[in-house]
Amino acid sequence: MNAPISLHDLTVSYRGHPAVHHLSGRFAAGSLTAVVGPNGAGKSSLLAALGGALPSHQGRIVRDPALRIAYLPQAAQLDRAFPVRVHEVVAIGLWSRIGSFGALAASDRRQVDHALEAVGLSGFAQRWLGELSAGQVQRALFARLLVQDAGLILLDEPFNAIDARTTADLLGLLRRWKQEARTVIAVLHDLDQVREHFDETLLLAREPVAWGPTAQVLNADHLFRARQMAEAWDERASVYLRAA
Amino acid sequence: MRSPFPSRRSLILCSACSALPAQAAAAQPARPRIVASFSILADMARELAPEGAEVSALVGPDADAHVFEPSPADGRRLAQADLVLVNGLGFEGWIDRLVRVSGTRGELIVASDGVQPRRAGPAADPHAWQDLALARRYVANLSAAFARRWPAQQEEIARRQADYLSRIDRLDRQVRDRLATVPRAQRRVITSHDAFAYFGAAYGVDFMAPQAWTTHSEPTAAAVARLVRQIRAGGVRAVFIENISDRRLVERIAREGGARVGGTLYSDALSKPGGPADTYLKLFEHNARALADALASPP
Amino acid sequence: MNDWVDPFVEFAFMRRALVATLALSLGSAPIGCILVLRRMSLVGDAMAHAVLPGAAAGFVLAGLSLPAMSLGGFVAALLVALAAGFVTRSTPQREDASFAAFYLIALALGVLLVSLRGSQIDLMHMLFGSVLAVDDAALLQIAGVASLTLFMLAAFYRPMVLESFDPGFLRSVGGPGASVHMLLLVLLVGNLVSAFQALGTLMAVGLMMLPAAAARFWVAGLPGMAALAAGIGSACGAAGLLLSYRTDLPSGPCIVLSCGAVYILSVLFGRRDGMLWRLLRPARHLAG
Repeated sequence: MNAPISLHDLTVSYRGHPAVHHLSGRFAAGSLTAVVGPNGAGKSSLLAALGGALPSHQGRIVRDPALRIAYLPQAAQLDRAFPVRVHEVVAIGLWSRIGSFGALAASDRRQVDHALEAVGLSGFAQRWLGELSAGQVQRALFARLLVQDAGLILLDEPFNAIDARTTADLLGLLRRWKQEARTVIAVLHDLDQVREHFDETLLLAREPVAWGPTAQVLNADHLFRARQMAEAWDERASVYLRAA
Repeated sequence: MRSPFPSRRSLILCSACSALPAQAAAAQPARPRIVASFSILADMARELAPEGAEVSALVGPDADAHVFEPSPADGRRLAQADLVLVNGLGFEGWIDRLVRVSGTRGELIVASDGVQPRRAGPAADPHAWQDLALARRYVANLSAAFARRWPAQQEEIARRQADYLSRIDRLDRQVRDRLATVPRAQRRVITSHDAFAYFGAAYGVDFMAPQAWTTHSEPTAAAVARLVRQIRAGGVRAVFIENISDRRLVERIAREGGARVGGTLYSDALSKPGGPADTYLKLFEHNARALADALASPP
Repeated sequence: MNDWVDPFVEFAFMRRALVATLALSLGSAPIGCILVLRRMSLVGDAMAHAVLPGAAAGFVLAGLSLPAMSLGGFVAALLVALAAGFVTRSTPQREDASFAAFYLIALALGVLLVSLRGSQIDLMHMLFGSVLAVDDAALLQIAGVASLTLFMLAAFYRPMVLESFDPGFLRSVGGPGASVHMLLLVLLVGNLVSAFQALGTLMAVGLMMLPAAAARFWVAGLPGMAALAAGIGSACGAAGLLLSYRTDLPSGPCIVLSCGAVYILSVLFGRRDGMLWRLLRPARHLAG
């Protein structure tokens, strides 16, 4: 089966600074890949580029155009004070089907209810988003991801400042996604979570340090090298051209 | 018996004296510079001041003296003025500070000096120029000031004064004749600017207004209702729109009361040069004609 | 008949003022609610100043022509709104700052243009009407704008709400984020400028913002909030007109102050987060 997404010498800049450079590789279908690395390593930029949120990059991102992508950015800039109900937030995940004007069928509503159940928010459908705790909001966003029914799911630090119980529950969803042969790419900081739940890891320090099965990537050497590279970053350098 | 002829000493004295003004005139700047606070006063000054005088107005034609904001150029003009003419009676709220700031040495002449003002609420109604009889007072004050300032041109000033006064008198008669064609009871008019109290009192026309005489007052429903009732009950025939206020309000009031909307009445400012009221006398004549026309025709 | 209704029966101008206030409330209440929720509440006031350079340009080109000045004012306000919106979408700067920046630039330009022309006529005074003076054209204008606003907001409700509370998601699914943002700004400017002309700036902004700000203390969801705000605006319109009629006070301020009174009552006694309500009743727990 074709890799749903492959990268060819990808360089991504963010506000004029190189965030990721010369990244090549592929994300296998149905894989769970964690993207880890020091702060400022370009992980969020990589995800943003994969999600189509950053228009400018050099190199190529090759993916099946029919592939539906669901992207959950870091600390999603939701306006939680805006008066929307939880079921509306989740239902909006059906955008690809209903768009701006489509009506919600009964089957759509059921889908929303199922998603809320799967994230442990049954009975929260009528609550206002503003009434939810941080963990509950994250569950609702994951419910939205479920409803989006995407082949590629991008998660940028989804468990930041989220309680342990929610984290555990949501990590359980990843297993379900893997079973459904969806590809998941997640940026994470907690290496224990990575070792436990993710079979592939990309260790990134603007350049790829290691990419492959988690156990092989997350060893002391690689981690040390990544830290070294991070200390050497000069914020004002122009794009680095590696000697061929 | 004393000789009827002047003594030699007094002759010498006289010739010395007559030399003085000539010397003084030689020492004076070439053209008299007069700055008037607004266009009507400036026009009067132009008529009365000696030939070649530079007359300018701070608040020009078609402008509103109540919301005037002086510019640095105005301050400069004031600073160089020989005479500063103001209406007085509270018309120019901004003039004292402007005069102080400009540092002018020109004398401040209050044109309405000696006029017994009408009252408009707690304050004086400054629009005294709307009565030609009071305008004569303005003319006298201005001419006297000019003559004091430029005694060399006394004769010319006196001549101009007499000429202007006679034109004013003629105009006064014309206005009265025109208005006489409309029965007194029908001479009831509404205008959105309460600046015609003097005119009304002098020439027997009832003026009513929806707002107080500064352009800032906001309309109230009660006032509008009162006016509509007044128009209906009092048989007001015509409504006039002054060239600076909210014409839509006046149109609404007229429509609802069943009155005619007349043309424009000029109250505080001349029209632009080439317009129907670009001198004080033309302004007066225009107003009188507009009033008579609107009142004479059936609603 | 009774005291409350008589003035409206006797005078056409009172009836027209009431209808104008109603139409204005209907059209601008939903926009006001969206502005309140998006923390753009001061934008209305900014727009009142942003019309000046356009009106001045219209005056320079065509003299004291109300249509020219109105059109100029509308275009100027629209440009300010769109420029601010563009900056907000393209840079990290938020809407409050970008609006403030552009309206101040516009205002200064306007003052410059007016002073260059030399005339002291108060352009703004000419441009902005009074609720007591609405003529047929003005009524049609307000009613038309209100209808258009309601229609567009209803049609684009979903993307509008989404763009308000999660623009990132809308972008990520390729939704019409920029268009909907611009639509909101265009509707906003349309409502405001048409209301300025007919009713003056105080009433236009007052009826847009005060009822919306008050409604927040009673209703949470947007449709309900908008309906309540429209109701408050209409009721206060009637109340303010009656007040102006009985007490001989200016009508615009009376109407807006009526809205203000409702606002203060809402802040104090509103069921949703009203100050006294919270003091009197301890916070209730939701079961699990």
